[in-house]
Amino acid sequence: MTFLRISKPLLAWVVSVFVLFTIAAAIWAVAPDYASVRAGRADAGYLESGDCRKCHETNYASWHATFHRTMTQEANPTSMLGDFERENTITYQGVRSEMVREKGAYWMKFTGIDGVTQQLQIVRTVGSRRIQQYLVKTGDAWFRMPIAYDLMQRRWMHLNGSFFFPDGSDYKQHVAEWNVNCVFCHNVKAQPGLDWEKRTWQTEVAELGVACGACHGPAGEHAQRALSPLTRLRWNLKDEIAPERLVVHPAKINSDRSAMICGHCHGQRLADPQHRIRPMMSVGDPYDPGENLREFYKPVQRDDKVESFSFASRFWDDGSPRLTAYEYQGLTRSKCFTAGQPGARLTCISCHSMHAGDPRGQLTEKMKTNAACTQCHEQFAAPTQLVEHTKHSATSTGSLCYNCHMPKIVYGIMTAHRTHDITNPRPDETVRFGKPNACNQCHLDWSANQTIATTQRLWPKTLAQSEPHDPRFDEPEGQRALFAGDAVHRALTVAAMTPATDATGPLLLEAMQDNYPIVRYFAANALAALHPNLPKPDYLAPVLVRAATLAIWSPLWAPERLQAARAARERLTPLRSETDVEVGE
Amino acid sequence: MPAPSHAALIRQGWISLAVWIAFGILLEGMNGFRSPAFLDDAVRREMFRLAHAHGTLLNLVLLVAALCARLDLIRLGRITALGLGTAVVLLPAGFLLGGLWHFKDEPGRGVLLVPLGAVLLLVSAVYLSLTLPKKASPKR
Repeated sequence: MTFLRISKPLLAWVVSVFVLFTIAAAIWAVAPDYASVRAGRADAGYLESGDCRKCHETNYASWHATFHRTMTQEANPTSMLGDFERENTITYQGVRSEMVREKGAYWMKFTGIDGVTQQLQIVRTVGSRRIQQYLVKTGDAWFRMPIAYDLMQRRWMHLNGSFFFPDGSDYKQHVAEWNVNCVFCHNVKAQPGLDWEKRTWQTEVAELGVACGACHGPAGEHAQRALSPLTRLRWNLKDEIAPERLVVHPAKINSDRSAMICGHCHGQRLADPQHRIRPMMSVGDPYDPGENLREFYKPVQRDDKVESFSFASRFWDDGSPRLTAYEYQGLTRSKCFTAGQPGARLTCISCHSMHAGDPRGQLTEKMKTNAACTQCHEQFAAPTQLVEHTKHSATSTGSLCYNCHMPKIVYGIMTAHRTHDITNPRPDETVRFGKPNACNQCHLDWSANQTIATTQRLWPKTLAQSEPHDPRFDEPEGQRALFAGDAVHRALTVAAMTPATDATGPLLLEAMQDNYPIVRYFAANALAALHPNLPKPDYLAPVLVRAATLAIWSPLWAPERLQAARAARERLTPLRSETDVEVGE
Repeated sequence: MPAPSHAALIRQGWISLAVWIAFGILLEGMNGFRSPAFLDDAVRREMFRLAHAHGTLLNLVLLVAALCARLDLIRLGRITALGLGTAVVLLPAGFLLGGLWHFKDEPGRGVLLVPLGAVLLLVSAVYLSLTLPKKASPKR
């Protein structure tokens, strides 16, 4: 045969090249087609985290540890964090709820006052850090149930205990359609799929939970190019003529666009103009990370309305957000942001790390300290300058930048959070806007007027102008806000009083009379932190049950102190600056 | 380039085997003493393991091939001897260097030695199979 006449060295090369080509062909034949993934859909090019993991193992692992990943999950033994076996019932407003696991599925059974029982199967979960909420599917829609599991207190709760709604609200007030709202921020690239004519849903997401695509955008083309080891090597060598990476890296883009990636969810927004909500609900969320969010949405501000619905109660009177999920609005109001160079200024990842640090807050240990602020304000890094600036000792909590410039005056999911509206402490804002101020978060026994006078003396440049004296603010601010503030202010004041002290105990017993369960929630926690061995008052229990528990607590304080606290509540409650608020949805 | 003698290949094989066995002991030690430099670095861990496995196994192959050639069981031509001798160095060294200095989640540029060594190894193996004597005549 002819080939036998070929020299053996040459034949060896020919055979080897043939083998190599065969191997190359086999690899090519089974190569994934990332470039056309989900083609024709609103989430075209969006990969799932498992695809990204193949190259980005480290980042996958750090993301996997976050609460972002577990924001929305299918119901299974791993994702279900509630107690479905032992402490698995709750009775609230006469409705008894029992949560059980039967035949491998999870159920909520509601028995109303009329004795009728309704049983619904839980198919998905929302949240995994503070509370876990549960979704059932009816037809083509998912519904959020009114009962959730409080992961911090390890107990079942009605959502009235998390949102700002008073006792006596509709039991089903918080049953919400997931496809309409929740789907947009708790998943990657939501496509509600609403047929406006038939009112049907075909809801799809690129991935359940907040995964890679939520921050890095569609990466199909990137992954396609990255299939070549030579391309990856050139990217790693930072070869200037290497093919474009075609994926968004929030740390490497314009800082304002980077903040918008987070602001897409951490900054409640409205379709802009509002009629664009129609294609958003049918086709899907048009925003991709890296784009200008303002081309599609307007961040909700205090004066915004949708028809007759006002968002005002979600903000303090000066326009500063007072609920979580408005961090973007807070940041963009801050001087730290507005004074910077557009595109190269403070952004979320100046402090937060999505792939490092504590998943609770996504902060590294360093960024939990003053180092976060001295990145820019380095003049306050030295203890002498710090003490000169804060008028507190260097080791005092009053010398931690966050406590004065980002006080905990924002409420979200049963926790007081730091505002992202980074400002100088202004006790006069309590008088002018009914907004808690940083000083009185610690100095609860000072009146706002006393705090204003002290601030004027210690920081004359910050608060030079003298406010007209308002005698309503001569009360100790902790006590005043606890009874005369609106529900959000009251809850945040109780949070600031946690743990309770001997001095605040009688006031907190009075706060247990509040008609907002969430205020009682904070009060019960504050009291339990003072005396963990006493029975903890149940903030969701009926009045008589709560009274029986509180009767065990009352003898801890002298009757005259209890009486003084009651008198303060009765005197201050009529002074509440506004009517009750209903916020939180 | 002159082909290395059988004796030279055997010497190379034993010395390399000793080196890669020593490297294996180092890996065991890092495992045993929970060295973060090894255990906490997934890319390095994988590359070092591959370097150790390829280094020891390929040098065993080299030793067997050199001994067979010495016993006239096979003929190690210039190409095979050079190819084998070079491949058994390049392949594990590529893994070692690729793990020692690497990019985030990717081996370093040293790993480029691996495909080079693999091609040489393939060509050597093919050539050896083509030049095997039809009937073995061991030298007694």
